[in-house]
Amino acid sequence: MGFGKINIWYAASLLISLVVAAPILTVFSSFFETTGNYSLILKNTFLYDYIYNSLVLLIGVLFLTFIIGVGCAYLVSFYNFPGVNFFKWSLILSFAVPAYIYAYSLTAFFENYGTAFSILKNLFGEGNYNSHIPKFDGMTGAIISISFSLFGYVYVLTRTSFHYQSQNLIELGKNLGFSKKKSFFKIILPSARPAIVAGLSLVAMETLSDFGSVSFFGISTFTTGIYNAWISFDDLTLANRLSFYLLIFILGLFILENFSRKKAQYHTSSKGGFKSKSVINLSGYKSFLAFSFCMLVFSISFLFPVLQMLYWTIIFPKHLADLDLINLFSNTIILVILSSCLLIALAFISNYGNRVSKSKFLEALTTFSISGYAIPGIILAVAFITFISWFDSSILGQFEMNSIKPIFIGSILGLVLVYFIRFYSLASNGIKSGYLKINYSIDEGAYLLGYSKFKTFKNIHVPYLKNSILLIGILLAIEIIKELPITLIMRPFNFETFATKAYIYASQDLLEAAAAPSLFLIIIASFFILITSKYILKD
Amino acid sequence: MTKNFLEIDNVTFTASAQNKVSNVSLTIENQGDIICLLGPSGIGKTTILRTIAGLEKINSGKIILKNKLLSSKDVHMEPEDRNISMAFQDNSLFPHYNLLENIKFGAERNKKKKKGLNINEIIKFLHIDHVIDKFPHQISSGEAQRASLARSLLSNPDLLLLDEPLSNVDQSFKEEIQVKLKQILTEQKITTIIVTHDSYEAFYLGTKCGIILDEQLKQFDDPYNVYHFPNSVEVVNFLNRGILIPAKVTGENSLESVDLGTITGDFIKHYPKGSEVQLLLQPEDLEHDDQSNLKLEVVDRKFRGTNFIYTLKTVSNKLIPVFVHSHHIHQHEVDEKFGIKRPINIDHIVCF
Repeated sequence: MGFGKINIWYAASLLISLVVAAPILTVFSSFFETTGNYSLILKNTFLYDYIYNSLVLLIGVLFLTFIIGVGCAYLVSFYNFPGVNFFKWSLILSFAVPAYIYAYSLTAFFENYGTAFSILKNLFGEGNYNSHIPKFDGMTGAIISISFSLFGYVYVLTRTSFHYQSQNLIELGKNLGFSKKKSFFKIILPSARPAIVAGLSLVAMETLSDFGSVSFFGISTFTTGIYNAWISFDDLTLANRLSFYLLIFILGLFILENFSRKKAQYHTSSKGGFKSKSVINLSGYKSFLAFSFCMLVFSISFLFPVLQMLYWTIIFPKHLADLDLINLFSNTIILVILSSCLLIALAFISNYGNRVSKSKFLEALTTFSISGYAIPGIILAVAFITFISWFDSSILGQFEMNSIKPIFIGSILGLVLVYFIRFYSLASNGIKSGYLKINYSIDEGAYLLGYSKFKTFKNIHVPYLKNSILLIGILLAIEIIKELPITLIMRPFNFETFATKAYIYASQDLLEAAAAPSLFLIIIASFFILITSKYILKD
Repeated sequence: MTKNFLEIDNVTFTASAQNKVSNVSLTIENQGDIICLLGPSGIGKTTILRTIAGLEKINSGKIILKNKLLSSKDVHMEPEDRNISMAFQDNSLFPHYNLLENIKFGAERNKKKKKGLNINEIIKFLHIDHVIDKFPHQISSGEAQRASLARSLLSNPDLLLLDEPLSNVDQSFKEEIQVKLKQILTEQKITTIIVTHDSYEAFYLGTKCGIILDEQLKQFDDPYNVYHFPNSVEVVNFLNRGILIPAKVTGENSLESVDLGTITGDFIKHYPKGSEVQLLLQPEDLEHDDQSNLKLEVVDRKFRGTNFIYTLKTVSNKLIPVFVHSHHIHQHEVDEKFGIKRPINIDHIVCF
């Protein structure tokens, strides 16, 4: 009987979504719990600031990442100009730079007597340069740091979508008498909308849960508020409640997007007649402008922080000699491999379960569960520890069973599980975006050739989405390499990664010492990007 | 136990509240029979195929293939277990495999049966040999459709379902493919249900034709009978090959029309003398005669290569189609008078 076969996929998908949704439900439940006095103080003082600053930060980052991400994706997808093939992959390198390292670089370069000052002094001799060097601190610094660190999400997903757009669509625009501008706004941009929205959603969630750079620039957002509620006032319930407000905001964004999309379908038509795009050769000032825009973005997003870190590493070689590179490297890679494999496999199963069962409930639950991406890592880690402790004492304690705390707390397993909950949205959204391109008739064709659900999944979907999987693998690897609070809290004793090492130095005000692990972190992340860039660029 | 190859017993096929075909009962008696389903777009023909294939479920009736219950209210055999192959109207080729690899998926399924279908011959007759190493996004929709057909054919299923299989195929080799397709299906005894809106295609390929109208299977008969003995006004209107004119039954073999006078022939159904009826006139029922005194005005002339179809206006403003061989020397222009041979005798008289 066939129903049974579908139910296995349904059950697997349901279970995965429930696991990911569990911390969100924990956060929701905090709404009914009593909070400490700090809650009242907060309401009367900083809450408005948290809301205002979070919104300004979010809008600023979304605007900037949209312009940079879509702008670069459009130029490299539709035009030919000097360096275009280089920019196609080099723009992705910005992923390798975490926002907090970008923030250190930005400050170090523009601060009084910083790197910019040194350069000017070496070039033109002594002078009062400090008053002429712009200062990117506070909100501006945070928006710039986060935007240049995250625009890659929008760039990569939009570029992939542009790549799959048929020339027919563009020719249809010409046929209807559309100008280039009108074609862009009426055809090209709307058809890439799911990809752009997916990219911006990731940026939004990353921004709202960013801790490193906003705390560095001293901006009070929800995340810093959550951190303070927990660390300074020891009020976990309030921390959860603030996370709840954040979640509501993220869910609101999702619902708004889903409503505005209505019933439009975006998967690539498989009726045949697909025509590869013809790329327009740019010349003269247009070519120069396109080159300059991409070069500027590449320089600001990647070259600038790398050179700043390299500069520090070179002039302070002692810190480099102190690093146990082999240990840091192997620790980082183990985490990347374990977590990425788990995330991709389960996100794939869950998405396929959704597809096969066509259940609206499951779809809604998945959407709900992936909003957990907005929960700051610190809250997830604490929620996980709280849950394990409760389970250990309340359930296992009742039956006098052995404690499971050592298995899940301060262990690689626990760390990987919290990564799983944290980054599930990234894996799931990526695979969902790939699935949107596979028409249902492809599945049905396979069934009618005698392929079971599993065989269709294994022989048709997995090979077809292998490039998407690689892409998601890269995104996950980079996220895991850069992840800070979860690793700090959940890692086994004395287990260090490049990120934790950099953070520990930076928190001790040893920014120069943080440069070497930061640089290695960037190099490893860049390596991941480079070895797989040919798949991203495969036309 | 049933001796029929396929039995569809009182099934309501439902895709949505607006798109359903109710209480369909249909039988394919012999292996190798070809059934064509005709009907306007959006009526639910594809839903019927999808349901037989197992892609949709049913809430009433049952579908039995080779004595195996495939679908009923309580039973639903999964599509992959039915050994039914379907070529979709929108091709369902796997986008990451080239055409040859796609087609081989069908041949792979057929491995164990070792029937005599040659992959190269199929590729050649479907005119896709020149694009065989291309990917689905690099070919035209007609080529994709033919590749999909090749894949389905090669899987040698118990039942083959073809959804508008040649709708995107160039007219230049459509007929050639139809001939070869019929030959293969017959030789290999592949029982097939074809959905089409092209009545000529259905009449040529089908051993039987089903007409689906108004959420019902209106008529299920062999193609000759569907054309010459339509069982309802709706079928006449759908086939659009004739016109109904008012007439009065005047005897066992005759009736009288205001427009054409006396008409004789064999009634396929008995009507009492004096009955007021609607007489079906098809283009080939009337003959042209320049010498006749029954002259009607030409309002349109369609050249169809082998013939002309003249549309004539009667005294009561009815528009009657008349078939004339295109070698007929005297062509009549619009507004000219056109003679109808008398006495008018029709082989079989169909009235409603």
